[in-house]
Amino acid sequence: MEQRAVMAEPVIDEHVIEACQRGDREAFRLLFETYKDKVFSIAVYSFGGDEAAASDVSQQIFLKLMTAIGQFRGDSAFTTWLYRMVVNACIDEQRKRRRFIPFLESMPMSKIEDRRPQEKRYARLEVADSVQAAIKELTPKLRMPILLKYVEGLSYEEIATVMGCSKGTIASRLNRGHQSLARKLGHLRNEFVD
Amino acid sequence: MFSKHVTKKLSAYCHSEVAADESRQIAEHLIACSRCRAQFEEIKLGVKLAECLPQLAAPDSLWLDLQSRLAEETKPSRIESRQRPRFSFKLWNPAFAGVGAGLILVAVFGAWLLYSRESRPFWEVARLNGSPRIGSSRMNEKGRLAVGEWLETDGSSRAKIEVGSIGNVEIDPNTRVRLIETKPTEHRLELARGKMSARIWAPPRLFFVDTPSAVAADLGCAYTLEVDDSGASLLHVTSGWVELQLKDRESMVPAGAACATRPGVGPGTPYFEDASANFREALHKLDFGEVVDVPDLQRPLQVVIAESRPRDTLTLWHLLYRVEGKDRELVFDRMAALSPPPKDVTRAGVLQLDDKMLHLWKGYLENSWGNQSGLKKAWLKIWTGALGKANGLEGKR
Repeated sequence: MEQRAVMAEPVIDEHVIEACQRGDREAFRLLFETYKDKVFSIAVYSFGGDEAAASDVSQQIFLKLMTAIGQFRGDSAFTTWLYRMVVNACIDEQRKRRRFIPFLESMPMSKIEDRRPQEKRYARLEVADSVQAAIKELTPKLRMPILLKYVEGLSYEEIATVMGCSKGTIASRLNRGHQSLARKLGHLRNEFVD
Repeated sequence: MFSKHVTKKLSAYCHSEVAADESRQIAEHLIACSRCRAQFEEIKLGVKLAECLPQLAAPDSLWLDLQSRLAEETKPSRIESRQRPRFSFKLWNPAFAGVGAGLILVAVFGAWLLYSRESRPFWEVARLNGSPRIGSSRMNEKGRLAVGEWLETDGSSRAKIEVGSIGNVEIDPNTRVRLIETKPTEHRLELARGKMSARIWAPPRLFFVDTPSAVAADLGCAYTLEVDDSGASLLHVTSGWVELQLKDRESMVPAGAACATRPGVGPGTPYFEDASANFREALHKLDFGEVVDVPDLQRPLQVVIAESRPRDTLTLWHLLYRVEGKDRELVFDRMAALSPPPKDVTRAGVLQLDDKMLHLWKGYLENSWGNQSGLKKAWLKIWTGALGKANGLEGKR
């Protein structure tokens, strides 16, 4: 799977949203291009590396976005509204899947590793692989705030709004998530030595 | 004062998600509380690890698949036209697609330009004298130094940089610095040449300065650092501790001490500035001089040993790592005469560079290095200054 450097995203302002609400396909394409990698990343990490599932749920999210964008009234930030949709879709899909397959066995993250043998030369990417694997093992409650913080770059307030809980709860879950990563990957400490 | 532990707030602290006052209280607590500091190191590692989490690229097929599903869902029989946006597929002819792609490219390019100019993290800079430059522009009274940008002063200009919320750095004339990184877990400046004075009130190892011959890591302190045109540098510590490092060569420099560095060598051996001139001259030769054949008593090491006082065990302790064989024995014997090792530290262990023993002894020796209450006292001194400044008291002290 290709990893992409975080680039500046086009500004999605109220004009783009309004154009989407009017059914302007170009505006929607802009919206899609802006958020596709972020939505897909959250989905991949939520489904333990299962790209097919992530692709499917990403499509569902964008479909729902297109059909429901008329209901967006600007009461909250657009990103908050979008990420709430993403989080709910991922959680719903996980629930459905859990009925059939234990979540952690759904798709090993090693699939990602297998696809990028040439990149393994780089220690930094190996760290990234280890982090991905450790993220997979977090409970969804701890995983989602980490993803929203580090993949989406949301503030604690925004994460709290998206997840429907308090800022304090998010701070606590991030604390536990960070501790869990550090304990699992303590052997990588030297990768960050100055 | 230090009763309330802050472990639950450490992630929020790392992400600057706590109010300024609370942030100061947490920083103060971290300096004093080893338990919370250990937790802070763990959280900081967790943050650094999570920062490695890459954003993945959605497959190119996603849009095509979405289009197919859209086409299916927007069939008249399956859609309630009043509730669904009116997407017209007539737009999807090559001409419209081309225009659309062009618009997207323009938007992305525009946003990138905006990002590169405005969205990079930055530090606030204030002009103190003359006309410092940021990049190619002369700065006014205030300016912003973004990540990757150079701040340069000429012979008559000076500037002051606010290092996030953790301290400040004064830039002297004829100095060139660049902001390398600023984020909650690391602030890093490059000093290419010239002189800077730093006052940092934050937990250890958040502020770093890269020079051509070593990296200075702040351990809660105030110091000056100067780099000459050859890339050699000289560090003077006025409060707390600074660590200088190049690869596996390290020097721990406490308040009142100095340390020189050289390109290709790294940090020399730290010494107290009130040591004798002979001591300092001999140490300089020992660190960076050419090896010359001289009578035994005139060897730089012999001079350093002969001139050393109890306080100079700072220098001798570092020399244990840097000399070998008989020379290491000489250093040990002088140290033992000046400040006998604690009972669990043996001559044989020290000569074999047993790390545990060396650090145990160092803990005892620090009492004679003028940092009796260690990091905490030094840091509080700076911190008090910072609070005074925040309260407008600096000039009244």
